[in-house]
Amino acid sequence: MADELTFLMGKFPARLPGDLRYARTNHMWCRQAEGKLRFGFSAYAVRLMQDVYFLDWVVSTGTAVQHLQQIGHIETSKAVADLFAPTSGTIMAFNQELLKDPSAINVDNYGAGWLFDMEGDASVLVDVGDYFAFLEANWEKTQRMLKGHM
Amino acid sequence: MSRHRLTVVLSQAQGKHPAKRALEESLVAALIMEPGLDVSVVPYLYDLDAEHTGRLFLESIQGDMVVLSWLFSRAAFWLLDRDGIKGHLGETQLKPPAADEDEEDAEEDEPQAPKGIGAVAVPDRHIYCLDLRDFNDHEPYVAEIRRIAQECRQRQEAKQAAQAQAKPALVELGLPAMAEKNATLSEETRFAPEQILKPPDRRWYPVIDYSRCTNCMECIDFCLFGVYGVDSLERITVENQDNCKRGCPACSRVCPEHAIMFPDYKTPAIAGAPVGNISGLKIDLTKLFGGGDAISIAAQERDRELVRDGREAVGLTVGIPKRQAGKHEEPKDDLDNLMDALDAMDI
Repeated sequence: MADELTFLMGKFPARLPGDLRYARTNHMWCRQAEGKLRFGFSAYAVRLMQDVYFLDWVVSTGTAVQHLQQIGHIETSKAVADLFAPTSGTIMAFNQELLKDPSAINVDNYGAGWLFDMEGDASVLVDVGDYFAFLEANWEKTQRMLKGHM
Repeated sequence: MSRHRLTVVLSQAQGKHPAKRALEESLVAALIMEPGLDVSVVPYLYDLDAEHTGRLFLESIQGDMVVLSWLFSRAAFWLLDRDGIKGHLGETQLKPPAADEDEEDAEEDEPQAPKGIGAVAVPDRHIYCLDLRDFNDHEPYVAEIRRIAQECRQRQEAKQAAQAQAKPALVELGLPAMAEKNATLSEETRFAPEQILKPPDRRWYPVIDYSRCTNCMECIDFCLFGVYGVDSLERITVENQDNCKRGCPACSRVCPEHAIMFPDYKTPAIAGAPVGNISGLKIDLTKLFGGGDAISIAAQERDRELVRDGREAVGLTVGIPKRQAGKHEEPKDDLDNLMDALDAMDI
């Protein structure tokens, strides 16, 4: 098992546990257990979003989804975003607690703030080292995009 | 000195949201007490079709007008324009309370004046659109409406003074068509309150902001449902509003000038939030979270509607604007605030 890595976003340390896999396309972590893939937002994603106000899913459980198909929408104190499937497969369950109160995403993004469970293709996911490298390679570009200079 | 009256129309929220209804009621109660105002209530502006009495009522208003609605000001103004309820854009000074102190600086940044084709056949009166989501109580709105009433009065007086100098005889400034129409209406039958407030069906259609629209016609190329058309002046119009597929915002992503709004869409940028003005506008992280660029999202949304309609998906093969790959789609807002805030927070 890999060690935890910390990616610095400016001064903010984004913690990336070593025992998880990651989806580079949408900054989600993945915990595999009993054939199920559980997803949530990485610390990097949570830092960009800040306080989550509202979360909305546009597909139902039991639906087959394609990689990068839109599955939902999120609104936070600083941001809005459409959300997309981290891989192809079937969504088995959404974290119902979040729909009543999404603050667990900010408080415990790797635990109680989990988003949904899927059965699907885990091959697109990478380990913490590759995810860290991806964040590093794209940090400049991401900052520029956020500042609107690109 | 003529008595200038200002018409104030409050457009209700959809549904029966108790907090919204409460604000509407307290606002109307306060406005009725104000001198010089003619106050009316209509249903949700965006849902009114051509036959709805509420819309006929709006069309009959000749002079200056304030419209309070649960829509962005830009969305309300241009949807009225499309409905033939035209006027000069009234500048409001109502700004929602800044969400954080960073926004004070951002407001100094005036966006460049957009070079759109503008509205046509605009009668000489002003329409002020106020967004009822900006404040939770009625006082700021009443204060702003008082200021607007004052501004309209002064403008009218200045105009009449200028006219009096130019021509000794009294000139009735031109809305002859409207005056005629008004004369044939019987107030009781046409504008019965229960007719004006009849709940309309929900509608979904794009609204063009002509102050930004350059008439490039990319939208009419892109939409495969016949929503767009061209008028007798060769200008793009939203001709068949009800052809538009409910919930689909694809064409607004394709517009290079961000001139297309869907007032009911969840993302502020598409719903008509002020462009280039950061207060209330949030960063769209969709691209970072797997969204791809605006054009490909638009093509996916369009395909979804085509397939639902029993037609073939076309992907990017039809009606896609040819632009440089990688061109930045977002409005060029100064979003340094977020990164600076991230750096400043020493957690």
